Formats: sequence, structure tokens, C-alpha cells
Amino acid sequence: MGNLETITQKIREKAKSLLESGQAEVVIGYRAGTIPLVAAPFFARSAADCDQLVWSSFARLNLANYLPNRTEKVALVAKGCDARSAVGQVVENQFPKENLYLLGVPCSGLVDPAQVAAKEPRPIQRATESDDAITISGQGFSVDIKKAEVLRRNCRTCAHRTPTVANELTGPEAPAAKPDDFEDLKTLLAKTPAERLNHFKDLIKDCLRCYACRNACPLCYCPVCFVDETRPQWLGKSTDPMDTMTFHLLRGLHCAGRCTACGACETACPVNIKVREFNRVLDKTVQENWAYEPGLAWEQKPPLTVFQPNDPADFIK
Amino acid sequence: MPEYLVKESSLASFFQALTQGRRLLAPQGQGDNCHLEVSTGPVSLDYANTHLSPKAVFFPQTEKLLAFHKLADKPKPHQYQDLGDKAEPTVIFGIRPCDAKGLSISNKVFQNDRFTDPYWKGKYEKTLKIGLACLSPSPQCFCAAMGGSPFGEVGLDVLAYPKDKGLGLRTLSPAGEELIESTSAEKADLASEIQDLAKKAIEAQGPLDAYQAIDASKLMDLYQAKHWANTAEPCLGCGVCTFFCPTCHCFDLQDEANDLGGVRMRNWDTCMSQLFTAHGSGHNPRPSKVERVRQRFMHKLKYIPIKQDGVRGCTGCGRCVVMCPANIDIRSVAATMAQASA
Repeated sequence: MGNLETITQKIREKAKSLLESGQAEVVIGYRAGTIPLVAAPFFARSAADCDQLVWSSFARLNLANYLPNRTEKVALVAKGCDARSAVGQVVENQFPKENLYLLGVPCSGLVDPAQVAAKEPRPIQRATESDDAITISGQGFSVDIKKAEVLRRNCRTCAHRTPTVANELTGPEAPAAKPDDFEDLKTLLAKTPAERLNHFKDLIKDCLRCYACRNACPLCYCPVCFVDETRPQWLGKSTDPMDTMTFHLLRGLHCAGRCTACGACETACPVNIKVREFNRVLDKTVQENWAYEPGLAWEQKPPLTVFQPNDPADFIK
Repeated sequence: MPEYLVKESSLASFFQALTQGRRLLAPQGQGDNCHLEVSTGPVSLDYANTHLSPKAVFFPQTEKLLAFHKLADKPKPHQYQDLGDKAEPTVIFGIRPCDAKGLSISNKVFQNDRFTDPYWKGKYEKTLKIGLACLSPSPQCFCAAMGGSPFGEVGLDVLAYPKDKGLGLRTLSPAGEELIESTSAEKADLASEIQDLAKKAIEAQGPLDAYQAIDASKLMDLYQAKHWANTAEPCLGCGVCTFFCPTCHCFDLQDEANDLGGVRMRNWDTCMSQLFTAHGSGHNPRPSKVERVRQRFMHKLKYIPIKQDGVRGCTGCGRCVVMCPANIDIRSVAATMAQASA
């Protein structure tokens, strides 16, 4: 039995016992998708439900997104980034720690369908996977692709594939990825501010303002988002590029130092915008200035929410 | 209506004839990068469908309707000026039958015996639509289950299909007939070939049972069924399904003004947003995503069929199936609806 099947079995067994013992009222995990290369969020509340739970390298959404405002006791199937986001939710008082059971999955990185499509543009009718490769097939073809060649960009540089905080792990720790050296930002950061603005304008030129990035994000739990405020209305509703840019810039800043690079925003974006790029720069800034990475411990305080008398910035004293 | 043939050697002159006195819009690019763009032809037929539906040609995401200015020294200060009807004569080549049917459904919303929307009408009536039939529908396609066909003719002036590196054509309206007569296409008898190809393409698609069961179910049984909370639970509440849907047509009116003047515009809106139904009083008749998700599927599969003589508000294009980040698949939801009201 491959690692994926072992994890799936373990998730199902544990989910059943957590529901049976009352430690959890719902297990939030993934089921197989109805289309190839997708695993869908799934809410298991019975033993029969639990048999639908799966682990796969198509599990791209971040399930911590479903925690805020939930009153049930939750067991969360959590890969490294989901677990960190869940810890973030607890640290930011969006979910009570005592209601959370983290069923941690050591993750070996998730598959990016766009990169698969780039390698195999023919319509895919079926996708299966082994630990190292996916097999995609359609009318008159079947192709194997190594997962390592089609991993999402954020998975390639993920330093915390195995949840650092979890009640239990469903398997042995995943091999660590190459640490994130923000190599991909070098070109961008060498640009002048005007050039950078153009870079970001170009990045979001196809944005439809559907807000899938925001709604897929476990950090975006505001009861009313600033773009939905009506009294006053802060932002226009049209496709005006300035309004669209304002949305992305403000969302990026709201997420500064909180993003776990889960990539759910990019997974959800229907027009393939590399949304995470707004936060990559901020992640780097926060790591460099405060040596802070979010979601690694329950006791952490996000740097932008605390004041310390020895703060190096003068303006705040 | 008669059929025509365009040989491979005449494709260039055929497309050139289409552009006489009008702009030609046609799909260009592949996969997620396939969009309707201005073309001079010949058009590549090697695409599944446009990433977004063609509704934006008639119903742009942002459309300025009226404008005013406050400059006393300029003509007509403080008066609204109509910005409508800037439509130019257009022919769209390569609309898929699911999308053409979608446009015909929205057309009944924008033009009916109670209302005529001048902004939609201006563009719709100046546009000829040449469909491209699907010889091998994509895995996510289910137009036949929705009462359509990969060779569907609804909403089109002409239906084309790839034939011997050229095109087979069937004209479907007097305007379409006139258009094709103005090109190098030659008359041909293709009726039996079209029938055979359509049959083969339909057979490749999924079952119809769930949708027929929904047709036969009582509205309130479907509405009050217990599954909606579970069905809606994974929903993120984004606007992807509605923005990509070829029949979703809801919009929001907005005024934007400054000290010098302003415009009134309409923008795509989405019933998946809490703001869509938020009242000025603070009350919201669809307070949670459960009511909002129910609204979307009931609208597609029950309310529109009631209002449009049994025609479903979903045409089976499969965009929402592929694009929904949470994989809420309308085919599975329909099966659940059918089962829950049985």
C-alpha cells in the first residue's frame, strides 16, 4: 500500500473514532472530486461519511477556512499549511482551541492543474496517482507525469510540509522541501517602484473581482469585507483598474505576516492570477524584520498586533 | 433551412466575406486562454470552448449607461446623457450551442412583453451568431442532459461544423441565410450527416434522469428539502459560478460621481454574495450561504423552467463544474435535489 492509501485509511479510522467518542462532531477533510485533478472539501458527520474521506495530492483548498463561526467540535484534516492557518485562527481568536482536533497530514506537495495542462493540453477524463506520479488519460491517450515536475510553486518552497502543531500525525514526517529563499522575488525586488506597480497592474489585468481568492483564504474572515461596506462605500464595484488594484493591495496588507503560503487563493482564482505574489513580498519583509513565521505555535502573537518597548521603529514611540 | 459547404481552399475568402461591413469575433487561444477576440479569419477550430461565456459581448461586466456633468459653460449641464447603443454590426463565429442557448435564455430576461433593455437589445440585434457544433464534447459537458445538443440550433443564425478541413453549414434564420449567401459557401445536402454526427455526440454524454425528476417535482418540495445545508456547506461564497455561467444575468446599478460629474453604470452582480440581497434596513432575506446556494440551483433548475416554458436555466456548458473552487458540481446537486424530493 502506498503512502497516500495509508494516510487515507488512517484518516478514515481516526475520523470514525473521533466522531464515535464525541471528541469531534464533524470531521472536515477531502473527498474525491467529481472531475479529474480535484479533491473537494467534505464534512463527515457519520461513519458512512468517513468512508468518503480521502487524502490526495489534489487537496488544494485550505480547510482552516471553514473554522470561523463554527460552533461544533471540529477535527480538521490538515496538511502543513492548513494546520498553520488553523493555529492562526486560534491565535487570532477566531476559533476556540478546545474545539479543535488537528489531524495532521505530512504533505509531499500538491499538484498544479495548470502545469499539468501545460504538459498535456488534451482534455483529461481521468486522473489517478501513486506516491510519486499521476496518470492522466483521455480519448486515446494515457500519460504518466512525475509529481515533482508539476507541484505548485508554493509547495516547492514549503518549509513546513509536516504540521508542526497537531494532535496526531497520519504518517511519518514528509521529507523537507528546499527552504524558501525568496529566489523568485529577486527580479521583482530589483525593480523601481514604478516598474513594480506595472508588474502588479499586469498581474491582475484579468481580475473579475469574483473574490474567490478572498473567500478561499483562511485569513479573510472579516464579518464584512471592506469591499462590501456600503456606508460608506470604500470601493467602486466596476472593473476599474484602480478599484481592482485597491482591493488586491489592501487584502495583501491585511494579510501581512499572517499568510502561510497555502496557495488556496491561486487555486480558487478562475483566471489564473498569481495572487500570492502580493503576499510573497510581505512574507519576506515580516520574516526579515521580526523573524516571524505564522502558525508554528499556539503562543505566537502576530508581529503587527503587538507592541514592544524595544521596537526599532522610531515613529511608534 | 438549407445547408452549405465551405471547402478548405475557400476558408480565407469565406471569413473575409463575413467581415464585410461588420466586425468578426471568434475564439482565439487555447484552454483558459481561449477568448472571443476580433478576428479577420480564418478561425482555428481547435478549441473546446471560450474560457468565459460570450455573454459579455451583450452584457459587459461593467457597462456605463448614463453620464452627467456639472460644468455650467458646457452644453446640457446637470442632465443625464444616454450612453447606450454604441453597438457595431457584429458576427460571432464559433459560439458553442450551449452558449447560444444561454444567450437566448438571457434574451428573454432582457427583452420580453414587459421590459426591453435598450443596452442589451442594441447589441443583440446587431449581432449574427454562427455556432460551432461539438464533434467531441469535453468531459465536463452535459448539454444533452439539459435538453440541448452538441449540434443545438437555439439562439443561432447559422450552425457550422468542421468538415474535411473546411466547414459544413446550416442556416437557421433569414439573416443567417442572407449572410451565408453573401459568401463563397456552396449549397450542399448535409442533413443526414448532421443527424448522424449529432447522435454520436449526444450518446457520449451523461444521463437525464435527475433533471426530469426535478421537472416533475413540486417547487416547494425541492425548496424545503433537508439537504441544502449540507449541499451549501463547502461553498466559499465567491462569484465564480455566476460570472462564468452563460445564463446568469444579475447586475448591480452604481452611480460614481465627483465634483465635475459622474456616470451611472451596471456591473455583474452575484447571488452568492450576501450583499446581493442585503436590504437598506439591515434585513437580509437570504442571510446565509444555505439560502444563497439554494437560490442558485433552484433558479437554474426550477424557477427559469417555470418562467420559460420548461427550458432550464442551465445549458450544460460545464464551466461552473470546472471552475468552482469547492467542486460543487451542479450534476451532483441535481441528483441530490431529485432524490430529496422523490
